Amino acid sequence: MTIGGWVLLVVSWGAIIGLAAFCFTIMIRGGKL
Amino acid sequence: MPVSPQRERWGSRLGVILAVAGSAVGLGNFLRFPVQAAENGGGAFLIPYFISLVLLGIPLMLTEWTLGRYGGIHGYGTAPSIFAVATRNHYLKYFGVIGIIGPTIIFIWYTYVESWLLGFAFHAMTGALMEAASDGSSMQAFLRSYQGLAEGHPFLLTYFFFLVTFFVNFWVIFNGVRGGIEKFSKITMPVLFVLGFIIMARVISLGAPDPDQPGWNVLNGFGYLWNPDFSRLRDVSVWMAAAGQVFFTLSVGIGMILTYASYLDREDDVVLSGMTSVSLNEFTEVIIAGSIIIPAAFVFMGPTGLVEIAKGGAFDLGFVTMPQIFSHMKAGGFFAFTWFLMLFIAGATSSVSMLQPAVAFVDDEFKLGRHKSVLFTGIFCFIACHGVIIGLRHGVLDELDFWSGTFFLVVLGTVEAVIFGWVFGIDRAWAEIHHGCDIRLPLIFRVVIKYVTPTFLVVLLVTWTWQQAIPTIRMDGVSPENVPWVLGTRLILVAIIIAVVALVYVAWRGRQLPAVETDRTLYCNEEDEA
Repeated sequence: MTIGGWVLLVVSWGAIIGLAAFCFTIMIRGGKL
Repeated sequence: MPVSPQRERWGSRLGVILAVAGSAVGLGNFLRFPVQAAENGGGAFLIPYFISLVLLGIPLMLTEWTLGRYGGIHGYGTAPSIFAVATRNHYLKYFGVIGIIGPTIIFIWYTYVESWLLGFAFHAMTGALMEAASDGSSMQAFLRSYQGLAEGHPFLLTYFFFLVTFFVNFWVIFNGVRGGIEKFSKITMPVLFVLGFIIMARVISLGAPDPDQPGWNVLNGFGYLWNPDFSRLRDVSVWMAAAGQVFFTLSVGIGMILTYASYLDREDDVVLSGMTSVSLNEFTEVIIAGSIIIPAAFVFMGPTGLVEIAKGGAFDLGFVTMPQIFSHMKAGGFFAFTWFLMLFIAGATSSVSMLQPAVAFVDDEFKLGRHKSVLFTGIFCFIACHGVIIGLRHGVLDELDFWSGTFFLVVLGTVEAVIFGWVFGIDRAWAEIHHGCDIRLPLIFRVVIKYVTPTFLVVLLVTWTWQQAIPTIRMDGVSPENVPWVLGTRLILVAIIIAVVALVYVAWRGRQLPAVETDRTLYCNEEDEA
């Protein structure tokens, strides 16, 4: 796997996991899950 | 404010998020995405993919969540009536019939394919699948005999799994939104994730199983999917493929999210819930599915073999190639069972959402009550499914797949985007999106919703009409003996469209559209919407 492949994998996975974590954190903090 | 106390409501926010995510997560996530990415520039494909997600997928998804909630508080849960109350125009509601016919037609063929997954999971347990999976030709023969296209597999067993799948779907719908769909999604979606993680972990731990081919290892398998070929970004077809994948993966443009969102309360948030369901769908597609098929096929078939397999399409990759891959593993039967059970769950959570618009239409518009509405829809679907079963060898499924699973989606999506941004109006749309919201969208999305998404969709519609609809209408590639079947399928589709248009007309005869004051009531005293 090339460096470019790693960069795209890490950025993509990070963006998706980050979005999910962000959404669930707001919902849990707001007690609205 | 208009309220509809008799309509059901979701029991919890997590329930509706999992139900919408379940609707979006289907076979396309696991089978279509990895093949599309590998064929269209690898990691570079993710650039147009994420751009399409932001400019097309998320705005359209929010459009459906918002219009659905708006329709629900007026007592309507399907596209025709939602378009009527949102636009206060009696004629635009007829565009909405696609939002009832589309998902129902998809259900009719999808549920049969879904039943094959259950059957394959059963045969993985009995060992018959692993025996057949020793090579590609015997696996192809097993699939064809299972489908009833060749001798060898008892068709009664195939039909039995179809009946089980069909009745599971209707049992879920029969129990209602909260007691059926929500409960089903809360149980099955976590199971789907667990099964996905099990297979993903097995694939990642494969290493390089063939000592003679050390380069055929899992890291290079990931590289095959992720190494970017940026030169492909100059190819317009790559951008179209990415936009198409985003469109299909989110289950937008077909009316299912409209109906699910119609069971929200007026004060329920749609922005955060919608974004959460998107994140779960993308997690399943990019992270779980992206770590299974392509890396596993690379490890056992090598780069040349993988190219040949990919030419066979995503369907063969799931049904023919994956069993062969599992047959090379220790405890291959267990992993094959896990794979097909996971796909079956992904299919089932999608197919129940396809049924709901038709049931909601009968229930909301004709006040038959849920159980009678389910029975009415069930009888129609059961009879129609037999057309697919009998006509499988004559291309009936492919014909229905194109119209319901591709063309109708783009047409309805375009209509929704234009109605929301232009007829409903961007000011009302922006206020309605943010009513009860937990997070606000960046202001740039006003421009995206009004200009970018409709333009994007019109380009998609024109391109697909040119590239796919015209050759399909001309029946290019259809063998002469199948022409009567394809023509018959089209005539039935036209008859169904006319029948649903007539039902919408009858339902709305003498009915008044809501007054303009309604919205003033809805938005009054909301500082953030001023």
